[in-house]
Amino acid sequence: MTKRNLALVILGIVFLVFPLVVRSDYYQHLLILAFIWVLIGSSWNLLAGYTGQVSFGHAMFFGVGAYTAGIFVTKLGISAWWGMMFGGIVAMLIGLFVGWVCFRLRGPYFALATLAGGEIFRLIATNWESLTEGMVGILIIQTFRSKLPYYYLALLLAFACVYVMHLIMKSKWGYYFVSIREDQDAAESLGINTTLYKNVSLLASSFFTGMAGAFYMNYMAFIDPEVVFSLHYISIMAILVGIVGGVGTIMGPAVGAFVMVGVQETFRSAFFGLAPKWISQGHAMAFGLLVVFAIMFLANGIVGDWSKIKRYVFRIKPSTI
Amino acid sequence: MKKVKILIGLVLAVAVIFSLWPSFSMAADTVEVGIVLPLTGPQAKFGEVEKLSFDLALEEINTAGGINGKTLELLIEDDTGRPDVGRSVVEKLITKDKVVMLGGGYSSSVTYAVAGVCQQNAMPFLVNTGSADKITGSGWDWIFRLNPPVSHYADAVKTLLAEKVKPKTVAILYENSLFGTKGAKSFQKICDNAAYKVLLKQGYEHGGIDYKPVLTQIKRLNPDIVYMVSYIMDASLLMKQARELKLTPKMFVGGAAGFTLPEFVDNAGKASDKVISATLWHQVLPFPGAMDYYNKFVAKHKRPTEYHGAEAYAACYVIADILKRAKSYKNTDIKKALSKTDMMTVFGPVKFTTWGKLKNQNIAGTYVVQWLDGKLELVWPTKHATKKFNYPVNWLKVWGY
Amino acid sequence: MDVFIQTLVAGILIGGIYCLIGIGMSLIMGVMGIINLAHGQLMMVAMYITFVLSAYMHVDPYFSLIVAMPGLFLLGCFLQKYLLNPLMKKESILPENQVLMTVGMGMVLAEICRFIFTSDYKTVKTSYGGQAFFIGNISFNLPMCIAFIFAIVITVVLFWFLAKTDTGRSIRATAQDKEAATLMGVNSTRITIITFGLGSALVASAGSLLIPIFYLFPDIGGPFTLKAFVICILGGLGSTVGAIFGGLTLGIAESLGATYIGMGYKDMVGFLIFVIVLVFLPGGLVGLKRLIKS
Repeated sequence: MTKRNLALVILGIVFLVFPLVVRSDYYQHLLILAFIWVLIGSSWNLLAGYTGQVSFGHAMFFGVGAYTAGIFVTKLGISAWWGMMFGGIVAMLIGLFVGWVCFRLRGPYFALATLAGGEIFRLIATNWESLTEGMVGILIIQTFRSKLPYYYLALLLAFACVYVMHLIMKSKWGYYFVSIREDQDAAESLGINTTLYKNVSLLASSFFTGMAGAFYMNYMAFIDPEVVFSLHYISIMAILVGIVGGVGTIMGPAVGAFVMVGVQETFRSAFFGLAPKWISQGHAMAFGLLVVFAIMFLANGIVGDWSKIKRYVFRIKPSTI
Repeated sequence: MKKVKILIGLVLAVAVIFSLWPSFSMAADTVEVGIVLPLTGPQAKFGEVEKLSFDLALEEINTAGGINGKTLELLIEDDTGRPDVGRSVVEKLITKDKVVMLGGGYSSSVTYAVAGVCQQNAMPFLVNTGSADKITGSGWDWIFRLNPPVSHYADAVKTLLAEKVKPKTVAILYENSLFGTKGAKSFQKICDNAAYKVLLKQGYEHGGIDYKPVLTQIKRLNPDIVYMVSYIMDASLLMKQARELKLTPKMFVGGAAGFTLPEFVDNAGKASDKVISATLWHQVLPFPGAMDYYNKFVAKHKRPTEYHGAEAYAACYVIADILKRAKSYKNTDIKKALSKTDMMTVFGPVKFTTWGKLKNQNIAGTYVVQWLDGKLELVWPTKHATKKFNYPVNWLKVWGY
Repeated sequence: MDVFIQTLVAGILIGGIYCLIGIGMSLIMGVMGIINLAHGQLMMVAMYITFVLSAYMHVDPYFSLIVAMPGLFLLGCFLQKYLLNPLMKKESILPENQVLMTVGMGMVLAEICRFIFTSDYKTVKTSYGGQAFFIGNISFNLPMCIAFIFAIVITVVLFWFLAKTDTGRSIRATAQDKEAATLMGVNSTRITIITFGLGSALVASAGSLLIPIFYLFPDIGGPFTLKAFVICILGGLGSTVGAIFGGLTLGIAESLGATYIGMGYKDMVGFLIFVIVLVFLPGGLVGLKRLIKS
């Protein structure tokens, strides 16, 4: 077993054992949040990092997944857990539509179109009160009092997502995606059906993000348009998670998710109570600085530029070949 | 391999430390109550007035002996105006800080989301501002509310309009938040019951720059009353732009919130004059300590306070009273003490009963205030009023045309 | 009929300010090919400068343009030179790095202002703040009319600058074809710095002109950045003339949407137009004009 795989196995064991050792609901909650972001970040990364279609509107899929689960409760009277299965599927359908509209656009234009898409969905959710309850939001009763079932479910989802991404990228699809990212026209001229594969990437991406949204509905038990369709807190956060962690890597978004959730909570709680109170508003500033720093020096994220980090931080010289 | 072992060791050590951490912060001589308020974000001004009022009451309570000798401590956490943050913060207060009860709750949507968490965790929650009816109308027995529900906010306005203004037509404008939407719905019900025709009812996204399109429509429809439910800045902009358009109904009525803050008169200037609003409190009301509270606050913070502050101040005293009476700090005993509450505060009498479909609700009165000469004066009901209700109003003259 | 004219007037007046926001972004997009997602935050900085001048030195917002515009010009140059230009040389997987850098920049700017000024709403009160004059039954908000006039003046000066001065022509050349311009002796690095500064100065003017009729808080930037794109796309990327049409069109569309569809849907109108134009009219209004001509 390679060193890397061993580290991953150990990490997996740590995660499995964590909630049994650390019984505090609060820290379990933080990890669950991190797992949700692993889902969203990895999905975004598939579309943006690997396929080169930088989406600024991933909140669309998250919110649609969340509302699917929520509407199952409010309109159909059935448990929101059914929404988990359908949340991903509905998000995929939305993804198809978004792809049809937006894939004719390239680069920054695609980004802007998805950004507008996210906002349009938010406005629809706010105004279509008969379907979504508008700003009142949807509140359900959590199925489990303890956080453990949610923790393990989130862990399972996150693990499954990262593994699926790994499988996809190892397959022929992975090559197609990267070739689209590097030069879409060249890929097309080589006979790769770029439109098809962009959509495949989008479907996988929207599916997992939709699942994350449905899980969020089940776990947080409250959603409203501002929360789940948020440009700032969902779409842009997904991008930050990807960038800081490392676009175009499998583990990057996972690392990014933990870093971002960690930074956010560390600041919001004023370094867990150790720092002066005014620091708590600094998390947004920390994010901003982190992004600027990451793009300047670690353009490929923590994982992508790990060799660079090793060199500068740990002073590990690259072995001579 | 060695590095990996060190890493695992570190992770486990950190995990162990974190799981033990909470036990370090428990002191024996204090009683901790969690308070959830928007300290940052768009509602920060309201959160600030409430926090300062809580602090004021806390100081007085602890100087007077605290809770049977123990110091009352308020852990005030910031919900940033977002329901998901509110929920996380409250979960932290419940599971990590192990507070004995919860207070606060400003925004309706945050309060509702937070109440859900409290109900599930059997944590007593004394709401003092969140006004959506749902909060005490969902059959949750752990949730108690000091302030009246938004469906009753306009009760006093209703009688004032019926007796003094006798309108025939109404236009309703509201921010499409939970508070605004519910407030508008309640007012519409009032109009339907009184046979006032609602000519227009429109929601808007807060933060808009230009309300002239909808105000122009309203001008064309020429209603007798324009009723608005807004938070701070929108309220000022609406009145400023109404003035610019020379929109002159018989009366402008605010549905509380943004219309009673000093920021309203600061920003709207002349356009705020003679505007009336529903309110839940005024310092001239004959509740013991009301005027004292007002004066103390102004002296300390150099700015006026209003009903939000009074709610917080009174809530703190109610919390102290409950904790003094409670047999123990177990949640069931606190709940029992809450339900037996029967006291007078600066906000008025506090007693939790069933009010219509609402549970554990305090039946509080509502009043009408009017901005006269830059000051918010109580004008209705007449038995409490200190100034006469200024009506009819020659708006063009008031606005300096 | 009155309602329609009033709506139109409101839309045109706000459109003037939108134009200034849009032209700035259009220039930056045309020359550098990047979307400046910090555009709204730059406007915010200018508004805070105006606020400080007004609150502490009682300078009228219109006079503070003299400080805000050059100030933001320098800030823009600084940001381009030290944060954005270096990225052009870096190897990275995603070409959108510059765009994402502007996201980071915007966040930091907003947080710095929040730290200094808190999240409180700030206003600048002027004696003419809420004044309106009437032509017939139609009300014209005085500060907005003044803002509109300033917008026209600034736009005219900008066009003169772009058409008649060396630097201006270099900017246009770089926007048309960066490599050819470099071959002709244009220092493209210097031009990108100046352009970003210029774009910032323009959006700064919009901010100073806006503050008397609106209010200020650290998160004000976001929605305006979004409006800026819609304007640019609507008008045709890189086209300053297009941005003018885009700004006016957006202002009028929003106003009409608010009156005839409903205020809750006002923002949606902008986004829908945006997506429709992006998809069906990639050249924007200017492209449409060319299409019609051909």
